[in-house]
Amino acid sequence: MRKVLIVTLMLMLALGACAHADDVKIGACIYRFNDAFMLRFRQAMQAESEKLGAKIELADGQDNQSTQDEQVDAFIADGVNVLIVNPVDRMSSQSIIDKAKTAGIPVVFINREPTEEMLATYDKAYYVGAKAEESGTEAGELVASYFKAHPEADKNKDGKLQFILLKGQNGHQDMILRSKYSVEAVKEAGIEPVELAGAIANWDKLEAMKIMNGFIMSIGPENIEAVIANNDEMALGAIEALKAQDYNTGNPEAYIPVVGVDANASALEAMDKGEMLGTVLNDADGQGSAAVKLAVSLAKNAGAEGADGKYIWVPYQKVVRGEKQ
Amino acid sequence: MAEKTASRSKRLMTTGGIIFLVLGIALYFLKAPMGLTRKIYDLPVFLIIIGICSAIKGFTAKDKTEEEAALAGKTFTEFLTNNAILLAMLVLVVVICILQPRFMQIRVALDILTQSSPKLIMALGICFALLIAGTDLSAGRMVGLAAVISASMMQTATYANRFFPDLPQLPLWIPIAAAIVACMLFGALNGFIVAKYEMHPFIATLATQVIIYGVCSLYFDMPPNNSQPIGGIRPDFAQIGQLRLFNGLWKGFPGISILIPIALVICVIIWFILNKTVFGKNVYAIGGNREAAVVAGINVFRNIMFIFILASLLYGIAGVLEAARTAGATNNYGLGYETDAIAACVVGGVSMSGGIGKVGGIVMGVLIFTVIQYGLQFINVSPMWQQVIKGVIIAVAVAIDMTKYRKK
Amino acid sequence: MSEYLLEMKNITKTFPGVKALDNVNLNVRKGTVHALMGENGAGKSTLMKCLFGIYEPNGGEIYLEGKKAEIHSARQAMDKGIAMVHQELHPIRFRSVMENVYLGRFPGHMGVVDHKAMYDRTKALFEDLELDVDPLALAGEQSAAILQMMEIARAVDMKAKIIILDEPTSSLSDREVDHLFKIINRLRAQGVAFIYISHKMKEILEISDEITVMRDGTYVGTWPVTDANGEKLTIDFIIKQMVGREMTNQFPPRDGKPGSDVVLKVEHVCSPLRKSFQDVSFELHRQEILGIGGLVGAQRTEFVEALFGLRGIASGEIMLNGARYSNKSPGFAKSRGLALLTEERRATGIFGILPILENTVIANQRNYATFGVLNDSRRLKDADEECKKLNVKTPSLNTLIQNLSGGNQQKVLIARWLLTNSDILILDEPTRGIDVGAKYEIYNIMLEQIAQGKSIIMISSEMPELMGMSDRIMVMCEGRVTGFLNKGEYSQEKIMALATQFAGRKDSTAA
Repeated sequence: MRKVLIVTLMLMLALGACAHADDVKIGACIYRFNDAFMLRFRQAMQAESEKLGAKIELADGQDNQSTQDEQVDAFIADGVNVLIVNPVDRMSSQSIIDKAKTAGIPVVFINREPTEEMLATYDKAYYVGAKAEESGTEAGELVASYFKAHPEADKNKDGKLQFILLKGQNGHQDMILRSKYSVEAVKEAGIEPVELAGAIANWDKLEAMKIMNGFIMSIGPENIEAVIANNDEMALGAIEALKAQDYNTGNPEAYIPVVGVDANASALEAMDKGEMLGTVLNDADGQGSAAVKLAVSLAKNAGAEGADGKYIWVPYQKVVRGEKQ
Repeated sequence: MAEKTASRSKRLMTTGGIIFLVLGIALYFLKAPMGLTRKIYDLPVFLIIIGICSAIKGFTAKDKTEEEAALAGKTFTEFLTNNAILLAMLVLVVVICILQPRFMQIRVALDILTQSSPKLIMALGICFALLIAGTDLSAGRMVGLAAVISASMMQTATYANRFFPDLPQLPLWIPIAAAIVACMLFGALNGFIVAKYEMHPFIATLATQVIIYGVCSLYFDMPPNNSQPIGGIRPDFAQIGQLRLFNGLWKGFPGISILIPIALVICVIIWFILNKTVFGKNVYAIGGNREAAVVAGINVFRNIMFIFILASLLYGIAGVLEAARTAGATNNYGLGYETDAIAACVVGGVSMSGGIGKVGGIVMGVLIFTVIQYGLQFINVSPMWQQVIKGVIIAVAVAIDMTKYRKK
Repeated sequence: MSEYLLEMKNITKTFPGVKALDNVNLNVRKGTVHALMGENGAGKSTLMKCLFGIYEPNGGEIYLEGKKAEIHSARQAMDKGIAMVHQELHPIRFRSVMENVYLGRFPGHMGVVDHKAMYDRTKALFEDLELDVDPLALAGEQSAAILQMMEIARAVDMKAKIIILDEPTSSLSDREVDHLFKIINRLRAQGVAFIYISHKMKEILEISDEITVMRDGTYVGTWPVTDANGEKLTIDFIIKQMVGREMTNQFPPRDGKPGSDVVLKVEHVCSPLRKSFQDVSFELHRQEILGIGGLVGAQRTEFVEALFGLRGIASGEIMLNGARYSNKSPGFAKSRGLALLTEERRATGIFGILPILENTVIANQRNYATFGVLNDSRRLKDADEECKKLNVKTPSLNTLIQNLSGGNQQKVLIARWLLTNSDILILDEPTRGIDVGAKYEIYNIMLEQIAQGKSIIMISSEMPELMGMSDRIMVMCEGRVTGFLNKGEYSQEKIMALATQFAGRKDSTAA
């Protein structure tokens, strides 16, 4: 009886292994599951894999690089054909590339970009993402065009834009580039930007709310002409803080334009209500499907179609009041 | 001679109060004509309030006996050590006011009170565990659980990413009750392991903390939500945390956040429980000497169960308020709140070895913490320095507290 | 060279609001046992803490062998040859005896402990003191007596010139006391001086050479135990010096006789633990004081704790006022009119950091509450009345109980149980570590309760107390009842005979 059981078990295992022998199996490591943006990314990847008939397995890195390293090892041991990695710490990508290289499987990085030097160490390492500077530029343009169209937005009539900058996690490439290029874009548009205050709110709504509240109190809402946030969650946090002071609740006298990046559902709703000026869609769907397409093609040794060297760039889109522009 | 010192300190308070009062009234009327409005903000009002309080205290202060007066006179340094943190805070406030006069606004004071309120509710919950020489590491995660559960059932019908797409618009109390009851179940679990197996609360609540986070994440990850931050909160629910009473009573008055009266009411209730009920006395007794409490016929099991359930009720309330205040929730809400709450309790004179602690002290501890944190943020001190300063405050406050009990 | 090994001159120590020591003198000669006596609160411990560097005196000087000594910490005191054996020992329970002996000064080189040397030296030390203990045994498994001697061994090994013994015999059986005295005598012959603090008069007269008496923080006087004419001091004389008045009687007179009705009947009660009490049966009558005698380890405490619901019972029956009683929990026992004053006052009695008020009413909270809410004025009134009745000496009911003397703490604990209006009071060593005056007061309280129709079970290791207060004595030995003695047939010899009945037959009882 026991022999039968053991044999059945082994047969099933063998069958299970055979069943997918021909399919592409993707191991995808996400830095943290409960990130709104990465959620859409994940869903897009799953949908694309289904379309292409590939199998995809997802792992939650829980915002911890060593956890993620273990997950990469597990995927390699499990025999995936290709890795998609959204690194917790982009500067730690080298070890992941080395692991993939040793195992001889391709690796596609998403959302957080390893340095050029790192990608250069392995011929089958690629990056799919959006150019972070582009999102910054577009967010800056949104504010600049509002400022030009609404003369009353220049509260102290000095022709300069006094703004507050809410930044993401320290050291994150998007935080650095979005911060830099959004200010650049305002300058490009011919308006002198004046940063009243800037703070790191770690992409987090609650933290942004607390920080913004402090700025409102110490600087005074009447002196703030715009809030530029590195992502939507922080923009929404800033809006909650403003609403607590009766700002951005529909009264045109008390309004401060707030922009974010990502275009998530809550941001779209806030724009519908007129609480938020606009956002930039970081095209999770486009990036997700592009990443999976690339991964499958690499796994089948079919080359990297549409890649610009080691990169595939997916463009951003501006969103105002719920519509894509 | 002693009588003189006693009445002198009384007179000092009264006259000091009246001086403040007069100065405040004068400034109040003079600030506009002197063009000081943008330099001193609401300072006159604060002066008036301080003046009135001080004068009243001076008038009503009890006449001290000779002995007490002698003690009071000799112990000026003792007064300094007893109130070191409070004095440090006052100095900081003055410095901030000079650096950034905007700090002297009524709305800033109200904002500090508002931010203290959820922290106070947490601290009042956790103080029970501290009073029995334990701790509660699961407090923060319970906040997250309550926030996620209540927010998940409180989304507008039109919101695109609803947690429960087909859920009808529930009456407010159902999700709130669900959230709080969920917390209380875990509180009961805490109490059960601590009381039944005599496990140290540190371990028991550490285990529960991990379980709660897991459960909360599972719930949060249920399709169709899949771990998205919960948004699209119904305005009536958000009002529970955002409503401002007397908003616009006069021009520029921001209103009193509803969180302040909620925290106040809870404060009074907890004070009553600790000081006027059998349960409260039993808590102190169990914390003071558990073995002796058993011998005195106190049902330790039942009391410990009740302690953790009551505490989790408070965490649940804090979680619901947090969800309402921010009009949203994720499973990471409440992360690390327990350490802040424990720190505030300890700074407020609650002993980690159990049996010692007062509601008044906890209120002070929370306020001191919030004022310092808020003030540092206000003058734009780097968050990293804020952490350093916070840590130093905890260590110094407790060190000073310990010297009070040491004899030499 | 001075005549004295140690001279403490005009030592004064004040705490905020209290003058604990006022110009106290203490002179100890080499190779003598010097008894330090006084009621609790007289300042003996404070004086010793000043000597041992725990407190800094505000005034006065200390001379060692004629040289002025500066002692600011226990470490310095030890370096100067002063060792202290505390009343309550706190060994590191999960480490071996030898590690406890050499704690803080392990033999070895550069941080590596030489276990062999430690073992050998401990062994030699123990042999010298005629201690039959394996140096590798766990400290936590040793009796209080062994631990005490272990501490003395430690002091000897540190070449202590003065050893302070604080209530060394309070938890020792007579045999163990004999052993301790043997060791003291041997060391005294070697020139070691002892400062011996105790309340037990007989012991002191037996062992010490000189006596210094203190009262209320002041120095009363010093006398040799045997004067030039070979006459010994009398107990009455010492008591008179201590209390400042004549004590005619150690025990108050007992009026009336126990009733005939049985309030508590215990039949064949056995502990689930083999080594604990077995097959205990007795009857307790109304208005009776039943004394339980026996040596340390007779399982008397364990038995009364089981009766009160703190420990389990495997078999047997208990009838309380004719109805079956089960020892579910202390709360249940309390509701059935039982009260237990435990042996370890500090560990299981008082709530040190709580005020006297709370300590008095804690067992009786329910009677002041409606729906869990307390009536403060009634609590205060009851606590006040009861503490006044029992003559608790305190500035206010808000004073923390830890600031009271042992006797007053004990009175508060008795007040606690009197408030619950219990019918049967179980008193486990009610006068341990309490001064003479307070003892007498506690005896009076016991008799008052009897007069009011209550019954008392009293465990006591002090023979005079046991014989002086009990209406009947039940003697236990190694968990079993070995006999009853009625008033009139008491004698120390008879009690000892019953208490040691199984001695030397250990194997038979274990079966």
